[in-house]
Amino acid sequence: MNKFLLLFTTLFFYVELASAQDFKYGAYTLDEMNMKSYKNDTSAHAVVLNEFGKAYFSSQDGIPLIFEHHVKIKIFDSKGFKAGTIEVPLRINGDDLEKIDEISGVTYYKDDNGNVQKTEFDNKNVFTTKDYKYRNTAKFTMPNLRDGCIIEYKYRVTSPFRHTYHAWEFQSDVPKIYSLYKAQIPAIYTYNIILRGGLKLLEDNEYKPLAERECFSYYGTKCDCSNFSFAMKDIPAFTEEEHMTSKKNFLSAIYFELSEYYNLNNGGTQKLTKTWKDVDYELSHDIDFGGQVKKKDYFKDKLAPLLTGATDTLDRAKIVYRYVQNNIKWNDIYSFATDGGIRKAFDKHTGMIGDINLGLVAALSAAGVNAYPVLISTRDHGIVNKLTPVIAEFNYVVVKTDIGGKTYLLDASDPLLSFGMLPMRCINDQGRVMSNNKPSYWIDIPKQTAAKTSSLNFVLQEDGKLKGTITNYLFGYAAYAKRREVKKFNTKEEYTEDFDEKRPRLKVLKSDIKGLDSLDGPLTETYEVEINTYDNLNASKLTFNPFLFNRITENPFKLTERSYPVDWGMSSNERVTLTVQLPEKFSVENPPKNINMALPDGGGKFATLFDAEKNKFTFSHAILLNKSIYTPQEYPYLKELYNQIILSEKVDLVFKKN
Amino acid sequence: MFCCAEFWCQCATKYDVSLIPKELLPYAGAVVRNSEVNYEVRDIDYSNYRVKKAITVFNESGDDAAEILIWYNKLRQVKSVKGIIYDSSGLPVSKFSEKNFDDYYGGGRSSLFEDTRVKVFRPGANGYPYTVEYECDIRDNQTMIISDWVPANMFGVAVEKSSLTFTCKPSLAIRYKEYNMPVKAVIVTDKAGFKTYTWQISNARATRYEPYSPPPETFLSMVKIAPVTFTYQKIHGSYNNWNELGKWIYDVLLTDRDILTPSTIATIKSMTAGLADPKLKAKKVYEYMQNKTRYISVQVGIGGYRPFPASEVDQVSYGDCKALTNYMRSLLKAVDIESYYCHVEAGTNRIDMDPDFASMTQANHAILCIPFKNDTTFLECTNQKIPFGFVGDFTDDRTVLACTPDGGRLIRTPKYNATVSTQVRKATLNLDAAGTLNGYLQTEYKGSQYDNRDQIIDELPAERIKKFKKIYPINNLEIDKLELTQDKSLQPVTKEHIIFSADNYASAQNDKLHFSPNIVNQMRTPLREVNNRKNLVYINRGYTDDDEIIYKVPEGFKLEKHPLNVVLIKPFGIFNASVTFKDGQLIYKRRLQINDGAYSKDIYPDMVNFYQEVVDADNYTAILGKN
Repeated sequence: MNKFLLLFTTLFFYVELASAQDFKYGAYTLDEMNMKSYKNDTSAHAVVLNEFGKAYFSSQDGIPLIFEHHVKIKIFDSKGFKAGTIEVPLRINGDDLEKIDEISGVTYYKDDNGNVQKTEFDNKNVFTTKDYKYRNTAKFTMPNLRDGCIIEYKYRVTSPFRHTYHAWEFQSDVPKIYSLYKAQIPAIYTYNIILRGGLKLLEDNEYKPLAERECFSYYGTKCDCSNFSFAMKDIPAFTEEEHMTSKKNFLSAIYFELSEYYNLNNGGTQKLTKTWKDVDYELSHDIDFGGQVKKKDYFKDKLAPLLTGATDTLDRAKIVYRYVQNNIKWNDIYSFATDGGIRKAFDKHTGMIGDINLGLVAALSAAGVNAYPVLISTRDHGIVNKLTPVIAEFNYVVVKTDIGGKTYLLDASDPLLSFGMLPMRCINDQGRVMSNNKPSYWIDIPKQTAAKTSSLNFVLQEDGKLKGTITNYLFGYAAYAKRREVKKFNTKEEYTEDFDEKRPRLKVLKSDIKGLDSLDGPLTETYEVEINTYDNLNASKLTFNPFLFNRITENPFKLTERSYPVDWGMSSNERVTLTVQLPEKFSVENPPKNINMALPDGGGKFATLFDAEKNKFTFSHAILLNKSIYTPQEYPYLKELYNQIILSEKVDLVFKKN
Repeated sequence: MFCCAEFWCQCATKYDVSLIPKELLPYAGAVVRNSEVNYEVRDIDYSNYRVKKAITVFNESGDDAAEILIWYNKLRQVKSVKGIIYDSSGLPVSKFSEKNFDDYYGGGRSSLFEDTRVKVFRPGANGYPYTVEYECDIRDNQTMIISDWVPANMFGVAVEKSSLTFTCKPSLAIRYKEYNMPVKAVIVTDKAGFKTYTWQISNARATRYEPYSPPPETFLSMVKIAPVTFTYQKIHGSYNNWNELGKWIYDVLLTDRDILTPSTIATIKSMTAGLADPKLKAKKVYEYMQNKTRYISVQVGIGGYRPFPASEVDQVSYGDCKALTNYMRSLLKAVDIESYYCHVEAGTNRIDMDPDFASMTQANHAILCIPFKNDTTFLECTNQKIPFGFVGDFTDDRTVLACTPDGGRLIRTPKYNATVSTQVRKATLNLDAAGTLNGYLQTEYKGSQYDNRDQIIDELPAERIKKFKKIYPINNLEIDKLELTQDKSLQPVTKEHIIFSADNYASAQNDKLHFSPNIVNQMRTPLREVNNRKNLVYINRGYTDDDEIIYKVPEGFKLEKHPLNVVLIKPFGIFNASVTFKDGQLIYKRRLQINDGAYSKDIYPDMVNFYQEVVDADNYTAILGKN
């Protein structure tokens, strides 16, 4: 189980307990005003002194969900001023939109004479940007920010989207001394409540869930509520680390997912996302999901001429995959369903992920190849919880097909992906395989590999130039990345010219790139080159660094320890073999020791091997990183591996004249 | 029926990819087949702007050139847009119209609010190549800003044919200037007196990125047009030159914007009462303004060009560049110091206002100029930390439009040349037999290098050290002490002093120590070659880096490799690097001076060699041994 995820089971108490409350607006203490830094985090430019949020259903028409937010922040210096600009995202869906009102704010600051002054925020300075179809943002900024000032503000958001109860993020980029969220939920609604992140909620009596009688009424129907109080104190700022996945996976926050509600109009109980069985049923009947994968007929005529003569299932699948890859361009929008159907998107040759990959399911089916949509959440969207189905946690769809006892996962949104390769954004834990008539199930998204094997063969000539060939064999993501790089140029020749121009000491005499367009195999580059290495060979000793290309000189890991895993999404390996034939009078004076350094648990290794015979030597090295994810416990070893790589790559060989 | 078939045939072949002239194919990811921009000024507050464009895309690198972005706001409204996508043989594959566009907020992340919006469409087809043909109609209700026409403004895009037709009503004169245009305007006056100007270019090849090129504004084909009389949201104006434009800005945009409350005036007066020197007075006021305000940008309508009143800034203590510059001007006025509000094109690329052609489209920023008797001082008002009179590489060495009561004047901002913009580093370090390094390293930054440490100067100690490890690529760097101080006098200096250690700095193998004597100032990537270079060699800004590092090496160790000694002297730069060994000390010296200026393109291969030799010298590994 993911230690960053916790599901609540709720208990109700009908007892009169003093419950945690909002703090008083418009007041500050002398201690707060005189605070010079935050003792728990002396690097903080600001600290939230107190934060209160409250969400409840209004008994008004439409039962809007009301969210109130009240914050008081101490700002130590100008780097903390960004806490003084507030942005509140407001959702829109057609005519339904969230609205903000009741904004008030105040800044307390010391003037040049050391007297505390107070400036009220003027409501006319609220701006609303219409970001795009589904979101507005209300923005305002506090007046008179000075080093050491205190700002306080509150606002209210009224939302028609009662199925998504307002989430609460305890952690932000500013540390918080105390944060309290009160969620009032009428008994007509049942939510799954999920706490993410590694921090603990306060458990004192004042934070126990309480029941309240008849707190909510709608046209005369009354019902009880449960009042939840979620609170944390001394909350550290959330600091992102490099090479980590979505911060959502680790940030301490509370999320709510509606599981069922009592319909006030007909008296029935409406179950929502209670079980996967329900989700399966809903999606298979959704016109923009299950309805689309059935649209085989749209592709039949288009594919028929391409499939003529292809009898092997794998061949047919590859032809269809290639067709979809080349016939629709991704518009950079993630989705797991369509918006108006695949026909519209394919006719326009442009579409969202849902259009492209549900279209791929339909097209494969049209060719008689089994295919199922797989719901996933991209790396930046966070890991999906496995405890309860939450459809909003998915944002992407790929395609699964089983051919000849082998499972392939496909994404047709990128024309350079080979058959069975998913783009990096998809490599995130597990996906849910959906089928129109069978229960859905989880599937591991296989990690991918980037592999490169290079062979360098040189002769050191009397004129001081190294002459020979470079051959690179690229597999998996490494081949994909190279294809992407080469395809940016109009021709292979223009790519090679660029390769040559970027390396002034090197001159390409002849080059060849194989496997650029046949995406399923490796890519091979061969360059016949001449490298200006020495002006002449007159010196009695010459030094030479055998790490000719991609020498690592800086450790990518700087932190002493990490809080979150290093997640590269792929394993990688690089092997280089360098053979150099020296002029007869030379030999290697300092044959380097062979190195073989491994990470614990088969996590990876760095190895070098040196072999010389008279005036010819072979030096090979390999860097293998076998895991795609390294835990914080493994981190120090990974960092040390790089340290050793750098140390060994510093050492020059010395060629001595005999 | 026959007629239709005939028509279809024409359409089908018009955009056949094989019709593109072969000489346009090299380096082109896309080719503009035809672009017709029609700008028709019907009245002072009513223009039609019509674009018809067809572009063929060969591969992914050309996709961006075919993306359709339409910027609009309250004054500039999209009337219609529609298009057709063709396959490689010129057969239509799909159509699109305004409803297929996505509509976004067009403001930047650094603004709180802007009233700009943008419609976006990324065309797709059944593979490459494909051709997009579209037509867009815009109505513009202002005449103050007329966009520049730059027919070939992207790398990797060739142009088969592109034209601008500009028509305006008889009573509305325009001024224009052609830059790097192969042909002059064709001017026609019709019976009603409407003047039409037409420019056209054809068969322009795709260009490649060339390092050390002058700003694109100086070599691209371009036409700038400015109105003589104009209107913007009911504000009228007229100008023929910088003097008149500056006068209009002063009289119309700045008028009554400098009024402060008596109490603020009193505060400023009493604050500076003891100071006689006007420069010291101004410095005091500037520091007050910096301490009080912060940069927040809000751009709505004419507010994109006119500053908020000083009294408003005084109340809320924030504003954009215009508001803060005008506020500073108003504060100085309170102590009888005259200053000029200036328009400038800010950015690390230095771009001058064209002395021969005045227009509102040549600036993106405002700064303040104080004409002291013997010296003209410029103030950047959006930065709370910058020293008085320091403009840095954001607005240095370029002409700006100063708006004075007597009209506009072009004035040049200060230049920081190679001898002024220095980074001088000295270090004394102990290296032990295990390869561990420890000691101190101190650096002074001046001129345009003064702000090299601005990223971390305001961080608190723990965070500073964390960020510093990313700046200095020393493995296993442990910083025991880090001091950063800034002297904000008229010749500002940033001083850095660190005491550190680093395990395994040298690789200890077979009783030898291998290490790089250039500890933190290594140039790693050589300058790329450019075959058939087109542009002049242009160095935007000069600087000098000076490093002197002394390594005390362990007892008995000596340098076992040829010492380093490189001396390069070129018009564009000087480089010295040396390693000497004496009395148990390895002394490393490096000096790199780069001189700003424009040089012949023939010098470029020389420059590639120069930088390659710098990279090689920086890559020098010392080998110490006991033999």
